[in-house]
Amino acid sequence: MIAVHLLTIFLAAILTHNIALTYLLGMCPFISLSRSLRTASGMGFAVIFVVTLTALINWPIYNLILVPTGSTLIYYVVFIIVIAASVQLVEMIMERFFPVLQAAFGIFLPLITVNCTVLAVSLFMVIRRYNFVITIVYAVGSAAGWTLAIVIVAAINEKLKLVGDIPKGMRGPGIIMVTAGILALAFVGFSGMVNVQ
Amino acid sequence: MKDKILMIVFVLVLGSILTAALVAVNYVTTPVIEKNEEIATKSSILRALNIHFDPESVEETFAGNVEVRRRGGTTYYITKKDDIALPYAGSGLWGPIEGIIAVQPDLEHLKGITIIRQEETPGLGSRITEADYLAQFQGKRFTEGLETVQPGRSSRDNQIDSITGATMTSEAFISIINENLREVIPVIRQGEGQ
Amino acid sequence: MRRYTGAKGQSLKTFLNGVWRDHPIFSMILGICSALAVSNKVENAIAMGAGVTFVLLATGLLIAMLRKLIPTRVRMITYMIIIATFVIVVDRVLKALFPDISQAIGPYVGLIITNCIIMGRAEAFYIQNNIGQSLIDALANGFGYTYTLVSVAVVRELLGFGTILGFQVMPEGFTKWVVMAMAPGAFFVLAIFIWIGRSLAGMEEE
Repeated sequence: MIAVHLLTIFLAAILTHNIALTYLLGMCPFISLSRSLRTASGMGFAVIFVVTLTALINWPIYNLILVPTGSTLIYYVVFIIVIAASVQLVEMIMERFFPVLQAAFGIFLPLITVNCTVLAVSLFMVIRRYNFVITIVYAVGSAAGWTLAIVIVAAINEKLKLVGDIPKGMRGPGIIMVTAGILALAFVGFSGMVNVQ
Repeated sequence: MKDKILMIVFVLVLGSILTAALVAVNYVTTPVIEKNEEIATKSSILRALNIHFDPESVEETFAGNVEVRRRGGTTYYITKKDDIALPYAGSGLWGPIEGIIAVQPDLEHLKGITIIRQEETPGLGSRITEADYLAQFQGKRFTEGLETVQPGRSSRDNQIDSITGATMTSEAFISIINENLREVIPVIRQGEGQ
Repeated sequence: MRRYTGAKGQSLKTFLNGVWRDHPIFSMILGICSALAVSNKVENAIAMGAGVTFVLLATGLLIAMLRKLIPTRVRMITYMIIIATFVIVVDRVLKALFPDISQAIGPYVGLIITNCIIMGRAEAFYIQNNIGQSLIDALANGFGYTYTLVSVAVVRELLGFGTILGFQVMPEGFTKWVVMAMAPGAFFVLAIFIWIGRSLAGMEEE
């Protein structure tokens, strides 16, 4: 039963409760990075990694330190510091031990700190009172869903630039919003799927 | 050396300003927020018990009609007609679901259910908050536990139609209600000397 | 589109820059995150706009005040801590005064912390300008952000619910455009606004 519940949360986080297409989060990088499939997927992987890592760290800090001491008031500050610190740490480790990875998507890391998705996953974890296991599943699922969305939009956009005659005011952010909107509409079609017995 | 001193001064100044802001805001807002929550809970209790009230005078209506009882770590509410209300809480599909259950004096049939908070899917799972869905619970017998059935199929007096497309949330909700009733009703029975 | 410069009327220029030329959403495409999600109802948009404006003002004030003291190496984390603190303030005040709106936009208020506008202005302006100018810039950006959000919200609430600020505006028989109440509607309306805004301002590719 628990396994089904976890699978439900995972699938829902990607399809029916997609953090980008349903909750409209993590949009800033959407605009700047969905020009090319390569940068979009690079950013996507970085996001999956950082989101999961920060959720892994923030859960114990919130539930095992802040709650018992009654200091939940400051959790926004604590979370953002953890996120900034994690990203710094990951950057340093990658530079030292994985220079190949560093070359591939090292530039995306500083941007991730201000990516709403990272903070949002930790915030939802608190609001919905997820336990540790659900938090991990939700974190990976949400980040995967975000990646899926940005990759699809980037792929469509690349093709669009080759073929389309886009009006001047629409070029860039405008057309990306429209593409994302159509994709969001398509994803709404998944609505009943995850709740079927 | 000067750098280090500057850094320390900076940390102290920034730290004091921010902490002062947080402490001040916390001091001012916490009583208001707690009051809001109290009124929300009381309104919910009154609604579950089907006692009409004016939004302006929740406190008075509550005080005049409902008595608070505590027994064995559980808090429950009883009216002059011996209707009883108790808070419930549990995990839905997406997050906690909390609210009030009202039961009739015979402690076998439901009087009403309200939901105070839930995080289910808007348009699907969160339809459990709709009046039509919750109205189903009125008068149902819970002694053997409530059951969910496909929409439109409920026939026995302990069955509830689930919500189309939101089977998991509907089932989770019924489990929460059953579980809470199972735990609390015996305590109330003892408290009321039945 | 000319950037307003020159020493005369510096305050007015700062204000106008923030509201039009460097408009956070249209020209810089910042802060879209929260703009999309909370623009489904006008009351949510106003609350969010007010929240962002407050955080901009408070952050601008504090950073401009302490700018000579902030060590360069830690300035990013300093911005974050300051912004996060003021977001906590906004969150608490909203919960206390307007619990219903707080319920509706709750998590998005927390996400003001990662709103690119505030970090962007802190780094580009407040760290280098005096208190007066910073406050004006904050007000301008906040105003620009709010009126965009409210404009989108007016369209979405009108078409998606038939109301504005809860008051029934559309006639009784009006069929609600459900897409406007959902995520795709947000994308489309914002896209159109960007299109109009950019065409008027004569901007092309970003």
